Amino acid sequence: MGFETTRRDFIRNTGWGIASAAAVSGLDIHGPLLRAEPIEVPSVAPTSRIRLTVNQRPYALGVEDRWTLAEVLRDHLGLTGTKVACDRGECGACTVLLEGRAVYACSYLAVWADGKEVLTVEGLAQGEQLDPLQEAFIEHDGPQCGFCTSGQLMAARALLNQVPEPTPPQVREGLAGNLCRCSNYNRYVEAVLAAAGKEGRHGK
Amino acid sequence: MASEMRSIGKPTPRIDARERVTGQARYTGDVQLPGMLYARVLRSPYPHARIVRIDVSKAKAMPGVHAILTKENCRIQWSSGDSRNKRLLFNDPVRFVGDAVAAVAASDRHTAEEALQQIVMEYEELPFVLDMEQALAPGAPEIHPGGNLSPNNEGERAPETDQRGDVERGFAEADQVFEDVYISKHHNNAQMEPRVSVAQWEGSRLTVWASTQGISNCRRDLAKDLGLPLNQVRVICQYMGGGFGNKNQCHDFDLMASALAKETGRPVKLEFTRAEDFVAVHGRWPTKQYYKVGVKKDGSLTAIRMKAYSGMGPYRKGSGGVAGAQLYRCPNVKTEVYPVYTNMAVSANYRAPSYPQGVFGIESLMDHIAHTLGINPLDFRLKNMTEKYHDEVPYSSYGLRDCVTRGAEALGWRQKWHPPASDRGAQKQGVGMAMGYFGAGLGMSSAVLKLNPDGSLQVHVAVTDIGTAAKTTMGLLGAEAMEIPFERVSVLSGDTDRAPYSVGESGSRTTNYTGYAVVTAAEDLKRQLRELAAQSWSVAADAVQYSQGAVYMQDRPDRRTAIAEILKGNPDGLIAQATTDPKLKGVSRNSFAAHFVELEVDTETGDIRILKYVAAHDSGRILNPLTAGSQVKGGVAQGVSMALREELLYDQMTGIPLNPGYYGARIVTHGDVPDVEVIFVETADPYGPYGAKSVGEPPIVPSVAAIANAVFNATGIRIKELPITRSKILDAAPGVRLEGGRA
Repeated sequence: MGFETTRRDFIRNTGWGIASAAAVSGLDIHGPLLRAEPIEVPSVAPTSRIRLTVNQRPYALGVEDRWTLAEVLRDHLGLTGTKVACDRGECGACTVLLEGRAVYACSYLAVWADGKEVLTVEGLAQGEQLDPLQEAFIEHDGPQCGFCTSGQLMAARALLNQVPEPTPPQVREGLAGNLCRCSNYNRYVEAVLAAAGKEGRHGK
Repeated sequence: MASEMRSIGKPTPRIDARERVTGQARYTGDVQLPGMLYARVLRSPYPHARIVRIDVSKAKAMPGVHAILTKENCRIQWSSGDSRNKRLLFNDPVRFVGDAVAAVAASDRHTAEEALQQIVMEYEELPFVLDMEQALAPGAPEIHPGGNLSPNNEGERAPETDQRGDVERGFAEADQVFEDVYISKHHNNAQMEPRVSVAQWEGSRLTVWASTQGISNCRRDLAKDLGLPLNQVRVICQYMGGGFGNKNQCHDFDLMASALAKETGRPVKLEFTRAEDFVAVHGRWPTKQYYKVGVKKDGSLTAIRMKAYSGMGPYRKGSGGVAGAQLYRCPNVKTEVYPVYTNMAVSANYRAPSYPQGVFGIESLMDHIAHTLGINPLDFRLKNMTEKYHDEVPYSSYGLRDCVTRGAEALGWRQKWHPPASDRGAQKQGVGMAMGYFGAGLGMSSAVLKLNPDGSLQVHVAVTDIGTAAKTTMGLLGAEAMEIPFERVSVLSGDTDRAPYSVGESGSRTTNYTGYAVVTAAEDLKRQLRELAAQSWSVAADAVQYSQGAVYMQDRPDRRTAIAEILKGNPDGLIAQATTDPKLKGVSRNSFAAHFVELEVDTETGDIRILKYVAAHDSGRILNPLTAGSQVKGGVAQGVSMALREELLYDQMTGIPLNPGYYGARIVTHGDVPDVEVIFVETADPYGPYGAKSVGEPPIVPSVAAIANAVFNATGIRIKELPITRSKILDAAPGVRLEGGRA
């Protein structure tokens, strides 16, 4: 827009992007590529080959170095449950777990995730059995429009993994990086506390 | 068989909740099509400028760039982008920072973004104006021919005026006259889902996956602006990530995506960045409200006069109304609103578009008057609150007084209210209240109901559930009307190819408009069932009754025949269609609310902490207390954000917005909002389906004023310009500024 530095400008300006302009002839992508057609134009951006484990499934991928983890998950692995709402690390809609820790996938380059384990909202349930957080989100009406919900769930999962029985202030702090413009904050906090109680009882 | 409510009134999780918590819900941005291109938009860096030269040759030569649209090859009008002027997709002159000048479709979004930087634009800067009153001053830069006062509904260059009685006589009769000015700011809807549109042509037929609050209106507008017959346009929006009024109808991104897809022969996904969303779509209109109010010593009102300016930005997309005076009984009222063009971001609908800013003004002033007259603000409201619309027309149902009394009791108003600034320390506690109302209109909408041979029900409605649980509500209404379990109902929505016209998710109307059609269509299904049974039993139709999924002879209620039996051998089941357009008869129909807040102001830091919040609402009968409660809680929290945080700031020298984005807007998050206690004062409205009125927008209406009034009660400081920031508290707090070295 001319008046602001986007993350990609930043990446480019700091040399992460087009540091070397060596053209790569097509993308050498292995694993389940869900884009229906190959990219027809040889990429001018540097690429790398990485290995990722997403929701316990291993992938070997060729990626452009400038691609974010969110882009790879959404555009190339078809895991669109992870949402991109601000694309600059301000809202938390893209929160996923990386090695068990909550990260903003829009502000994390895919190449940084090489060799690491990613959990997205699609991997929360065990088959048909929903995660207690998902069940509580349904029961307590967590999602209104639902666009921030995946991020809220993943941030809550990270919190409960670390603090199994949080107090209300701990829940608010744990989710503070996740905006909800429907502003259903009361319901989300209720839901996380309910799920924590349930998990405690079942000894999870 | 007397039927009690089976589905209505019980807390019911959303019909699509599982999809929403598992990542399966497919929003517009999740749509990926074979061969799809990505599009990005280039925008004006100047608030007002003529375009001298456009050179796209370098961008067009880039590998991966498929098409570029500018004003030179695209003259498509965006008709719902301006109700007064001819607004194109690409305008010259550009009239605000963020006005679109080009759109690029490329093989991926990075290439599209890089191509934007290769487009050469030369502008000739024109004088610009940001302030509403300056825009009306003689010699101000003219944003559209004819001046900066936007024409009213009659097409005249005159304010929107509403009056009754004679305000001058009212002021003459007053014991005391109060005059004051209240100011609200432009702030963005900031819904979580960004702007995105995916367009695909198959021959001459266009399909648009839109992020819209109304697929029916979106389709109508797309067809109109692209010159297509309606049967060649399909709009799909299955899941919608919020809008709060800025995704009504069709938007420029839908048209741009469609035009690029046509040009390239490929599907196109057009995305806006978050910063574009903040400056290039629209937010709530800023207002400056001048009041003059006459009162008797006993607190009764003799006259209310309001003259207000609303900054619409350079295109007229919203009404610019300033509501609030209707909250009070008063024989002499005159309101004049001037919608003004400026070179700021466009302003239009944001949740209860005319209300929270107007109510902030009138309810702050009434609070001030009560305080000055030595009347408890609660008693002042109980004495003066509206009981009839314009003191004349009865309300179809009325729960405002109960909202006020029950809300006050829940907060403990009588115990907690004290004269302003009673606390002696730096931490000062106080309570505040405000009333609110919102029109609960009726109007035309349609529904198709299909009763399958197994007795399950499909509700076809062109609803896009923007977060209000409208899909769920439509299902509940279908279940209730057919007296069958909610689990037997599915709702097919969000696709113009499989649902008839619906009004769209705006104006808190879906339950009242489309819900009414669902119930009416269900009545028709029951009639058809009775007739089928009567035929096969060779009796008169009125001898057959229906209840709870079965028909029976009136005199044999114990011998029931299930739907499945009646529809045996009828593979298509039964279909009923209803288009309804109910009219009010001699009444005004409104939802009401009263909010009560207790908070603490730290006069050394300016920090405001909300301790208790009670929101009492009359939204008629509550169809689903779970999701209606969420609407209220969320609306209040948005109001907190509007009251304390949000304003799109502008550099006055360049006309450039300074803080587009969530971080800059300082939107509230988990730690910033109070637990909201919700009270539903249920009135059974005779017009709504099962007595329902509107619930979506009212919760934001009184919240801003209630907080402002509580700040006054705590500190004695009356903030008259939103938002109520720390610095405004500190500037106004006498003798409590941090001393040097104490920080």
